[in-house]
Amino acid sequence: MKITDIIIRAGRSLKQAKARTLLTSLAIGVGAFTIVLSLAIGAGGRDYAATIITSNTNPQELFVQPRMDANNDPNKPQKYTDSPTMNYGGYTAKTLSQDDIEKIKQIEGVKSSTSIYQVKIKYIYTKGNEKYQASVRGFNKGVKLEYVTGGSTDIDNDGIIITDNYLEAFGFVNAGDAIGKKLTIAVDRLSTAAINPEQKEFDFKITGVIKSSIFAASPISGMQISKDNMRLLYDYNQQGTANYNQYAGAIVQAADNVDVKDVKSRLVDAGYDAQTAEDLMSFIFNFINVLQAILIGFGILAVLTSIFGIINTQYISVLERTQQIGLMKALGMRRRDVGRLFKLEAAWVGFLGGAIGSALAVIAGTVGNPFISKVLSLGDTKLIVFEPLSIVVVVVGLILVSVVAGILPARKAAKLNPIEALRTE
Amino acid sequence: MIEVKNLVKTYGKKDSAFNAVDGVSFTIPTGKSIAILGKSGSGKSTLMHIMSGLDKPTSGEIIIDGQNILKLKQKDIDKFRSSEMSFIFQSFFVQAKESCYDNVSLPLEIAKISVGKRRKMIESALAAVDMSEKVKAKAKELSGGQKQRLAVARAIVNSPTIVFADEPTGNLDSVTGGMVEDLLFKYSKENDVTLIIVTHDSDLANRCEMQIHLKDGQIDDMNPPKFLGKTLVGRRLKK
Repeated sequence: MKITDIIIRAGRSLKQAKARTLLTSLAIGVGAFTIVLSLAIGAGGRDYAATIITSNTNPQELFVQPRMDANNDPNKPQKYTDSPTMNYGGYTAKTLSQDDIEKIKQIEGVKSSTSIYQVKIKYIYTKGNEKYQASVRGFNKGVKLEYVTGGSTDIDNDGIIITDNYLEAFGFVNAGDAIGKKLTIAVDRLSTAAINPEQKEFDFKITGVIKSSIFAASPISGMQISKDNMRLLYDYNQQGTANYNQYAGAIVQAADNVDVKDVKSRLVDAGYDAQTAEDLMSFIFNFINVLQAILIGFGILAVLTSIFGIINTQYISVLERTQQIGLMKALGMRRRDVGRLFKLEAAWVGFLGGAIGSALAVIAGTVGNPFISKVLSLGDTKLIVFEPLSIVVVVVGLILVSVVAGILPARKAAKLNPIEALRTE
Repeated sequence: MIEVKNLVKTYGKKDSAFNAVDGVSFTIPTGKSIAILGKSGSGKSTLMHIMSGLDKPTSGEIIIDGQNILKLKQKDIDKFRSSEMSFIFQSFFVQAKESCYDNVSLPLEIAKISVGKRRKMIESALAAVDMSEKVKAKAKELSGGQKQRLAVARAIVNSPTIVFADEPTGNLDSVTGGMVEDLLFKYSKENDVTLIIVTHDSDLANRCEMQIHLKDGQIDDMNPPKFLGKTLVGRRLKK
């Protein structure tokens, strides 16, 4: 029997048992749905992370921190040291001093070393509107920002770049409306009396609006001003306190023609912890990959379960069609072809399940995308990205799995004795 | 020409062994119709199965047009059956949920006839049994007589040289049974096709040119005796 005729006959027998075929397919469909959706989320997540990373980091940049003590267990009493520390919710971290910053600058391949200024902003506002909390950081030339409007490769000395989630709070109709408007930041002088501290307002002009994102370093805001202004705010805010000129970390820029990894190993040799942008990136990718692997695991479990469904269905099918098999064998159909007929039926079930599951996944993803983007405020970014190739691979994979599941029932059909089969009345 | 030589089929082993077919020999010239008669358990079905290559005898030979089909490989027997033989059964064995067209198409698909050639063959086979207007009807919508006519169409579609019919009219009333019989004998005569009918219906058997009566696996009687040729083995071996 020709393979095309077998395929057609296999499809036809399934059509004659519609409910059974559909139910068995749906079992695989659940697996296909989960796997296709996980792959799409993984692909979308990686795409998105890559965009976030390129818009938040510079590949030639390193994040340097003091080396933490290996036995720094927050559950045990910590020894007092004279060296300055910062306290984050009971967890003390060492800091970098100005000397460290200078020392790092001398390391081979380091272009610049900028301390991370931590400025506690009291409030931020535009004229005639409410005051809001916010945080700012220094503008980094090497980072590609995702501008909604305005922006350039550098920042004006009195300029500020705001995130789009603040537009409404600042009383702007849209991003374009914000450009050129005045924005005021108020900072306390922490060295003065804690009850009624001295404070000062700094004025800035909005030069650009960028997208806010959940992956951005600061969830409240990623507002950016020039490094010089950052220093100015920092000096006013921290001068006279114990932590003045003590930094949680530094941003080190490697020279353009130097491998950032070499710089990293030299920094580590010098006694610092250093992470490249790639290191930070791999953490996000690892997270996405693990999440995806777990989801795919569930999908594979569903597929495994459905295999037993296929075996069961196909066995019943063989029993039901004993006479038909007997007749076909009497008419000279070869054992191999009888086996193929049942394996191809299983393949059809796998194909249907894969197609139904994938189609539902694509529908769910397409419908869910705008909703997810809205909840996570991703803007136009899609978190679920379907790759046609991976869908094809999933469907083909499921067909193969189904054929394997169909082997045992197919063998039973092939072995059937036509005389016995035709005797059943 | 089909030569059956000294056929023995033994079931069971040692003490419990018994011969369902016990030393049967006869010859059927091409294009003749022959009835194999006998009560149930006489070995007539087993004989038919062995003659069609569905079953293997314990000993003996089946020589069809000079070729011992028992010496063929399974693959070649299957091929031989798909191109030279066909079957009609008491309970029709038509596929209820398939259309008449697809039912008749099955032997052609098994024999690897191309799609282009099939249509004409199927249509003429259905026309031969006067079922042309039922091409698209599902087999389950047919009456018993129509189902058996469909089975006849399926049996003749690939122009076999031997047609085996196992109680072809057993499930039919005498009128529709008669119609099916007419079809079979007419087809056999017109196309020089050997027709082997297994039955216990003596009226049907009498319409055949030859009759073989089986009893306990042996030939009890044969008509006309001249077809026995040189061998009266079946009778002689009788205990």
